[in-house]
Amino acid sequence: MSATRISTAQLFEQGLATLQAQYARFARTQRQLATGQRIATPSEDPAGMVAVLDAREVIERTAQLQDNIAVARRKLGMEEGALQTVVDVLQRARELGLRAGSGLLSPQDREAMAVEVDALLEDLVAAANTTDGSGEYIFAGYQVRSRPFAPAAGGGIAYAGDEGQRRLPVGPGFSIPLGDPGTAVFRRIRNGNGTFVTGYGASNTGTGVIGPGTVDDPTAWVRDTYTITFTTATDWEVRDSASNLIASGTYTSGAAISFRGISVEITGAPAAGDTFTVAGSTNQDMFTALQELAAALRADTSDAAATAKMQMDLGRALLDIDRALEHATDVRAEVGGRLNALDQQERLNEDLLALARRHLSEQQDLDYAEAISRFQRQLLAIEAAQRSFARVGSLSLFQYL
Amino acid sequence: MAGILSTTISGLLAYQRGLATASHNVANAETPGYSRQRVELATRPPQRYGSGFIGSGVQVTTVRRQYDEFLDASLRESISGERRLAAFVELASQVDDLLADPEAGVSPALARFFGAVEDLAGDPSSMAARRVVLGEARTLAARVRDLDARLAELESQVNRRLETTVAEINTIAQSIARLNTEIIAQRGAAGGQPPNDLLDRRDELVRQLAERVAVTVAKQDDGAYNVFIGKGQALVVGGQSATLSTTPNGYDAGRLEISFQAGASTVEVSSLLSGGELGGLLDVRAQLLDPARAALGRVAVALAERFNAQHREGMDLNGALGGDFFQDYGARTAAPHPANTGTASVSYEVTDVGKLTTSDYLLSYDGSTYTLKRLSDGTTTTLSGFPGSPATVDGVRISLASGAMAAGDRFLLRPTRGEAGAFAVVLDDPAAVAAAAPVRTEAALANTGTAAISAGEVLDATDPDLLHRVRIEFTSATTFDVIDETAATTLASGVSYTSGANIDYNGWRVQITGTPAAGDRFYVTSNAGGVGDNRNALLLRDLRAAGILDSGASTLDEAYGDLVADAGTRTRQAELDRDAREVMRQQAEAALAAVSGVNLDEEAGRILELQQAYQAAAKVVTVADAMFQTLLDAVRR
Repeated sequence: MSATRISTAQLFEQGLATLQAQYARFARTQRQLATGQRIATPSEDPAGMVAVLDAREVIERTAQLQDNIAVARRKLGMEEGALQTVVDVLQRARELGLRAGSGLLSPQDREAMAVEVDALLEDLVAAANTTDGSGEYIFAGYQVRSRPFAPAAGGGIAYAGDEGQRRLPVGPGFSIPLGDPGTAVFRRIRNGNGTFVTGYGASNTGTGVIGPGTVDDPTAWVRDTYTITFTTATDWEVRDSASNLIASGTYTSGAAISFRGISVEITGAPAAGDTFTVAGSTNQDMFTALQELAAALRADTSDAAATAKMQMDLGRALLDIDRALEHATDVRAEVGGRLNALDQQERLNEDLLALARRHLSEQQDLDYAEAISRFQRQLLAIEAAQRSFARVGSLSLFQYL
Repeated sequence: MAGILSTTISGLLAYQRGLATASHNVANAETPGYSRQRVELATRPPQRYGSGFIGSGVQVTTVRRQYDEFLDASLRESISGERRLAAFVELASQVDDLLADPEAGVSPALARFFGAVEDLAGDPSSMAARRVVLGEARTLAARVRDLDARLAELESQVNRRLETTVAEINTIAQSIARLNTEIIAQRGAAGGQPPNDLLDRRDELVRQLAERVAVTVAKQDDGAYNVFIGKGQALVVGGQSATLSTTPNGYDAGRLEISFQAGASTVEVSSLLSGGELGGLLDVRAQLLDPARAALGRVAVALAERFNAQHREGMDLNGALGGDFFQDYGARTAAPHPANTGTASVSYEVTDVGKLTTSDYLLSYDGSTYTLKRLSDGTTTTLSGFPGSPATVDGVRISLASGAMAAGDRFLLRPTRGEAGAFAVVLDDPAAVAAAAPVRTEAALANTGTAAISAGEVLDATDPDLLHRVRIEFTSATTFDVIDETAATTLASGVSYTSGANIDYNGWRVQITGTPAAGDRFYVTSNAGGVGDNRNALLLRDLRAAGILDSGASTLDEAYGDLVADAGTRTRQAELDRDAREVMRQQAEAALAAVSGVNLDEEAGRILELQQAYQAAAKVVTVADAMFQTLLDAVRR
């Protein structure tokens, strides 16, 4: 609708209203330039505001994940350090065991080595009781405030922790264990060769020495405790725990005695009536392996039969230490793997953060070039409107009356 | 000669009137509502002579104001529309500002709270981390309550402005009624000539009324205006005006409604009124404030209920099961309508936040059926079995606490609106934060199989035997017994084993995977002392990213984001509409001003014209005088 008549009051009002609208737009541009932010209130761009909130949420969550990675790295680094001590202790014990087995040593030498093994055991217990910066035992499962490993009344080292394993999210839908419970690190280690463990009768009188044995056919193995009995110095028979005869044969030193998918070797000269045992492996802690070693080093070697037993004890201890070492190395490798995973995840998170920050910036930050040019345009428009308003205001026919 | 003088004097008088009217126009050029006036001239009756009719001058027939009632009606309509939106925007932009600062809103407080929970998961035995969780929770609760209080303050602002506006409407209505009376009287006295300035004043008052509420005007033959508001409520009839008043809402005394009083009867007309300041205030309350408070309340209720539920499934630093972390909302009492005649007291409780909406609900009874109406969209649900047994609609369980409803009784249920004001942290002992799960599992070291047991989860934290030590013992590689060692009872025997299957007893669930051997034993025990356990902290932390609202579709952040976006969108829409309406109002004003407005140049021109005509008429008097002198001189001789 175009008005043919214009009332004077209307003319002024319209001029003022136009100026007001221009001031409002100008003020918004000024505020944008002052804050550097594109959106001041949700109503200016509701969808953009939600995108800002979303982007902020992603950034916060990812930054939190990065914090978690730092926590995880600290805890796992602590564990890795403790495991290194464990590996060092076990390696030293292994060296001592190998030296003890390599030649004739004086009882004094053996005692000295046994004393060192005792010290190594203490070191191992100390490593198992490692605490982190905040005084938490790292190998105690969930019960981080109570000392997990302590000498038990009946010998051996008892575990007071549990099997809890704390995890922490480090990536979207990805969490990582912050450690391992003491049971998994120190206690759940299969003894012997992992399938079975060999032993000897306490009353053996010969010099027969049984080796650790090998598994030929795992499917034929039936878990039980088998007794190899020398009926004469040259004949053996194998019976299971229910005294069923499983196998029998003629003894040749170093020849394999095979039954139920496994083979064991006996060397030396067993006496008639000597017995050896083959039992399914059980879980055994690595402290026991060191205690076995210390006991073997302190064993009586006054006669050939005792020496044979000592050698078997030593062999058993070395075998268990080897398995403990292998286990500790595995756990350490796994911890190293977790640390690597953390590094990778950290980079992924960093990428995600960069993306979200860019997204936030796109949504929230002002395009200065555009805003400054808009600012100047609006300034010009206001100046023009002001001048024309002043000119229109001075127009009046009454001047000529 | 007398004829010439008389004719001339009629002209002089007419031009005087014209100049007077023009100067009146100039004087009122800035008077709001003033319509320019024009003197309407007509010839006086001529004198008949034999030679024909000789004109006898001019007369003023009337002074007419330049006015178009249809343009005025459309201006009133656009004024009502613009003022409605302007009032809407004034309040909406306050909500908008409240939600604007991303640093000060609920969103960052929510983020920091869950961040603190996650930090606790990294270091669950740390008292410092626990204190931070409580501190951030209190900050969050304060933010939520503060936002709710500010929204509630806007509601009081609506109340105050409703009161003011209603008072203004009443004053204006009375003035219009008085003007009606005066206009009728003056028209009569002036023989039907219009009292222009009174008419202008009344039209201006009607426009002022239109700023406050949409009106329709019916012009009567006697010149009176009858003014109607809403759906035909007669605010002014002739010299009589009715009264509007503010009355407390039946369910909520803190909420004002508009009532119409005509004679002795009072009718609530809030839902009938539209347009103007009043319409804008009522609309912004219903369309923006209520939904915003309800959306905030829903976030608060959902967070409190779900966080509490998960917290109760945890174990604290002292080995006790977790309690309520936030204030438990529990059962609330529905607001009865004041006109209820029955004795019923109705209570309701949120039982499933996933189904919770942001609507209010109206429970009514017609004598045979109980009906629940969702007020946001009018969906009704017939409550079968109610009140014999509680009814659950949209995650809200409604039960009759006492008494009985009579036919026609109504109750209002507000499961979310305003509940944010009651959002608070009740836990105050940092050690009581339940970061650990209440049970842990272990495998006996002597186990010869390769099976492993999962860490376990809680299904029912209220099970009294939850913390018992339970042994799962394999009697063969394929079967197991479950023995409660604490209670010394066998829970099950000969259960057949499937790797990975759920094993549920005493309120917990575990899975055993792998190949067990006969004689293998697994244990589920109380996690007392498990201060390094963070499993429940992680589950609490997971609530943030979980779709706990809208049947799994929305997280807490999304629900809050919806609130922000919704308020923003409505504000923006109202701003755009207001701007459009402003243009329409300006156009309607220009259209009316084109007819009624004073243009000073035009008046200057007219004054000049009248002045010249007046001078010409005066000259005629001189001429007549000269003629008369000539005649006198001739006679004197």
